[in-house]
Amino acid sequence: MERSFKKEVQELRLGDGDTFHGEGILAVTKALLQSGVSYVGGYQGAPVSHLLDVLVDAEDMMADLGVHLETCTNEASAAAMLGASINYPLRGAVTWKSIVGTNVAADALSNLSSPGVVGGAMIILGEDYGEGASVIQERSYAYAMKSSMWLLDPRPDLASIVHCVEKGFELSEASHAPVMLELRIRACHVTGSFQTKNNRAGAFSGLNQIEGPPRFQYGRLAHPPLTFVQEKLKVEERLPAARAFIKEHKLNEVLPGDLSDIGIVVMGGLTTSVLRALSRLGLADIYGETRVPVLVLNVVYPLVPEELTAFCAGKSAVLVVEEGNPDYIEQALNVELRRADLQTKVRGKGALPMAGEYTSDVLINGIAAFLSDVRPRGLDADAIAQHAAGLLAHRPAAAKAIGELPPRPPTFCTGCPERPVFAAIKLMQRELGPTHISADIGCHSFATFAPFSLGNSILGYGMSLASAAAVGPNMGRRTISVMGDGGFWHNGLITGVASNLFNKGDGVLIVMQNGYTSATGLQFMPSSKTSRGGGAASGMDVESTLRSFGVKWMRKVRTYSVAKMRDTLKEAMRTAEKGLKVIIADGECQLARQRRVRAEDAVKLEAGERVVRTRFGVDDEICTGDHSCIRLSGCPSLTVKPSTDPLRTDPIATVIESCVGCGLCGEVAHAAVLCPSFYRAEIIRNATWFDRVMNRIRRTVIGWLAPREATV
Amino acid sequence: MTLPTSLNATLPDRPVTILIAALGGEGGGVLTDWIVSAAHQCGFPVQSTSIPGVAQRTGATTYYIEILPVQVSELGGKRPLLALTPGIGDIDVVLASELMEAGRTVANGFVTPDRTLMIASLSRFYVMNEKIALGDGRYDQGRLIQALQTHAQRTLLFDMEALAKDSGAMINAVMLGAIAGSGKLPIPAEALEAAIKADGKAVANNLRGFRTGFDTAQRDTVETTGREAKKHAPPALDLAGMEREIESWPESAREILTEGVRRLAKYQDLGYARFYLDRLTPIRAAERDGGNARLLAETARHLAVRMSYEDVIRVAEAKIAPARMRRIAQELRAKPDEPFLVTEFLKPGVEEMCDLLPPSLAKRVLAYAEKRGWRGTLYFGMEVTTTSLNGYLRFWALAKLRRWRRGTSRYHNEQAQIESWLGLINEAARLSPALAAEVAECARLIKGYGDTHKRGTDNYAAIEARLIRPALAGRIPVEAGIDAVASARTAALVDPEGESLARCLADIERQVALPIAAE
Repeated sequence: MERSFKKEVQELRLGDGDTFHGEGILAVTKALLQSGVSYVGGYQGAPVSHLLDVLVDAEDMMADLGVHLETCTNEASAAAMLGASINYPLRGAVTWKSIVGTNVAADALSNLSSPGVVGGAMIILGEDYGEGASVIQERSYAYAMKSSMWLLDPRPDLASIVHCVEKGFELSEASHAPVMLELRIRACHVTGSFQTKNNRAGAFSGLNQIEGPPRFQYGRLAHPPLTFVQEKLKVEERLPAARAFIKEHKLNEVLPGDLSDIGIVVMGGLTTSVLRALSRLGLADIYGETRVPVLVLNVVYPLVPEELTAFCAGKSAVLVVEEGNPDYIEQALNVELRRADLQTKVRGKGALPMAGEYTSDVLINGIAAFLSDVRPRGLDADAIAQHAAGLLAHRPAAAKAIGELPPRPPTFCTGCPERPVFAAIKLMQRELGPTHISADIGCHSFATFAPFSLGNSILGYGMSLASAAAVGPNMGRRTISVMGDGGFWHNGLITGVASNLFNKGDGVLIVMQNGYTSATGLQFMPSSKTSRGGGAASGMDVESTLRSFGVKWMRKVRTYSVAKMRDTLKEAMRTAEKGLKVIIADGECQLARQRRVRAEDAVKLEAGERVVRTRFGVDDEICTGDHSCIRLSGCPSLTVKPSTDPLRTDPIATVIESCVGCGLCGEVAHAAVLCPSFYRAEIIRNATWFDRVMNRIRRTVIGWLAPREATV
Repeated sequence: MTLPTSLNATLPDRPVTILIAALGGEGGGVLTDWIVSAAHQCGFPVQSTSIPGVAQRTGATTYYIEILPVQVSELGGKRPLLALTPGIGDIDVVLASELMEAGRTVANGFVTPDRTLMIASLSRFYVMNEKIALGDGRYDQGRLIQALQTHAQRTLLFDMEALAKDSGAMINAVMLGAIAGSGKLPIPAEALEAAIKADGKAVANNLRGFRTGFDTAQRDTVETTGREAKKHAPPALDLAGMEREIESWPESAREILTEGVRRLAKYQDLGYARFYLDRLTPIRAAERDGGNARLLAETARHLAVRMSYEDVIRVAEAKIAPARMRRIAQELRAKPDEPFLVTEFLKPGVEEMCDLLPPSLAKRVLAYAEKRGWRGTLYFGMEVTTTSLNGYLRFWALAKLRRWRRGTSRYHNEQAQIESWLGLINEAARLSPALAAEVAECARLIKGYGDTHKRGTDNYAAIEARLIRPALAGRIPVEAGIDAVASARTAALVDPEGESLARCLADIERQVALPIAAE
């Protein structure tokens, strides 16, 4: 894993009355242990990758509590794991990145929520929405509504989050429905503190195992004719039970305020943002005192009609602060007010934008617009609007002064083994012309950015090959699908490869075999060389798996061999052989490799053993500043610097210290016939006597031949 | 403005807000943790958030911290609600590890003259779009610095990357020192240093980095970025006569001329340097008559570069230059007797081989190669270890070919092209020195090796045929011609595929064709 939490997980041992300090994700883990879970699992993805990392690092501690951990191969397998709570009083939690993970899990979730659960079942959703997000922008809310799962959206401070996790399990058991708890990106990484409780073991767990299965109960199956009964149970029993629980345990909060004829209804996760906006408008302080009454929905689904009408009664207007679309809460509130025959105006989308993240400026503008619109008693709405405009007035001039800045998206790391593959694709296309490139999710999707700008579609994780199925036949040219080994095991093997072979498809598939799910932070996956605990690997392997599936044309190429990769691609594109052509682009993730190699080298250096360190360089005198090398590489360590030549103005290429000596610069210079500026320099530390003698002889002879230098 | 009267009057009404702008992998998370843990040790309520995601892969990212500068114990049980997102116009300190990222915070409205202290490194980590330009795609640094100074209340700008390198620390330690030294945090420097120590990783180096950042911030003076360090050729005794002669040339061109003769004397011989000055004599006259100060200097600059074209001989000389080996040893931090190997990547093709042959022979070989389909396909890839005797001797022998250079086909081709280019400049100078300067500047397109050189030459040829020659023939009005050549040159440097240039040339031809058609 990229980040180790070995130190932080010690916080998970805290007991009654202690104070926890740390990050949101760690607090969630602590809350799970305090809730007596019997099993946990999930699939990594920002912003909850670290939750899974924490669970792995805390595996020993969890084993003491009898908690079973499963690092699932995808979200569907994680969701299906919750099936343990259908029949047995086992509390369990799984986690993934939403919306994408929830999409993958959807089938299992429907089949889970129809029979319902007896043990508390919780899904921690990393809501990848807004700044920093890497997926399509959709809400998880629809899944909650359609499957009758409850959706918690706690206030983003650790105490509230922990409280919601604990109450969430109770809610799940009280209403027999699975519960989702969504955490936005910043909430996952927010730091803070809360009072801890002792961890507790589940009623049944690895320590105290269940005797055996219950008597056969058809009612626990999502199977007709019971599914018709279960549909009714959802709305007739589980929904009322959930609402009663939410009300009784006061999961939602009302913050009173003196401007009683208006109010704000806010999703729990946006509460601090709204209160800060009110404070900047002079309508609240930073200690939670507000002049505008606020209804905080820590449970956003289901809504409790009585709570809504009680809050709105006597108010002329309320503002619904609901991020994303559609505006489910606003619609529901309108319906409830209509049913209760209340005339309170509902404002939401309109004052606030229909789409996009509700950042501080959006909220300031939205609240000011709302106040100007509804003009509450005892408040000078115009003055507020003017103040709001003043807070943001400087921005256009500032943006103009800076100018249009080029973007800085993430990119392949220095020495990444995947980058050379795209250099090879670029070179292949120079000769054979462009073809459709089906991209996928993973580090390799960075190839869609400059300097490669390669990829025509992204359809989801592991979907590249499947999404090219109808392109090739309609184009008369082979397509190239790119997939990582992470995506291969997540989905690509069945959805892509099996489907292609079954349909006697054609086309080229490149599998990037780097040994980890690297983009999410170097987690282990089925074909990793070791297991998550550091022991023996599972033994699964991409190449033998593909062979057993019946792939005939397969080549394994070391990724850094650009010329060979280009030629292999050309062969794959032109061969008369029909059927799927797979190129396994083999190269260990450089982040992982460097971590290992550096540690090993440090030990060797210490022990006085011979160590060769390689880096590349560019000769200032020879580079003419055309930057073709950068256009074919894009390595962060290959950059530009001002020309040292007094007669040249264009900046020249340079290799900075972070170079790990992967060799791509030389490979590209060769494969693309660039220029003779690149050199590889290898320094020998702790040189042997042989190295030294040879070195001395060479230097002496070269010294005789060397041109005399100009002396001044 | 109605302020809530019931609210606390004695407690602070807002936290100290800190926005950190950094690149993934620079240790922004660790920096944030240092500040948070120091604030915590001081007993202040503190909260941080971040949006790491895949931005950890050298993308732009931010971290946000709020600190309430009052002891938790003095809050009387009240809990401050600290925000997760930075507010526009509500930031006390921006701490940026890179100049463009500092600029981004200004563009996003986080920097305001009423409160923001901008602490930013003047170092640049160029973004991809700046690096892949065919010419100079770097963003205007002066504009960024000026915008920071205009929009912040106060700025502390210095090269934190250089300080980090000097102290052996990561840049985040220097940044922590800078914010400590700024005096804007409610946290004493000792507490921040304690946070580094408590972390326990690379403590000595990080403390050194912290100290240097702290001291620099305390000096409170703006340091400018390092000047573009140019390596000037050393003077030589046998050039003294020519250099004295240059004293009588216009001042604006003298520095370039001196550099030019020195370079060409070293590249070939004294006669070649003399040839350079002779070639420029008509341009000097044209400038004197026409009064365009750019013409002579620019032509002199490009002529020196063109005359010292990068042939195999020059590359070989550069590869075995003792100064180069010293530079590489320094980059490697090699101790005096520590062995190191240097390997070059060369891939000459048929053309490069023929470059060294006499013109008549080269012609025949190339014709044969053309027939066999070898041109552009047959290359001899080699990795030569210059530090080995074998490799060194190969370059040494190639470098010795210098005295035959005048007999090579490449020499003949280059000189013919240079003459043609100078001819165009002279011809243009008679119409307009400004046009002549634009023509001279087109030499910028011709650079590099192999494909790159060919692409540049082709682009130049297209501009010559479709703009320069028509302008000289009066088919394009002079003023329009000046603009057209300048914009075509810019377009030629936009994309390697030549799409922009093709579009630009077509546009220009359409525009100039209209008035002619109407005449």
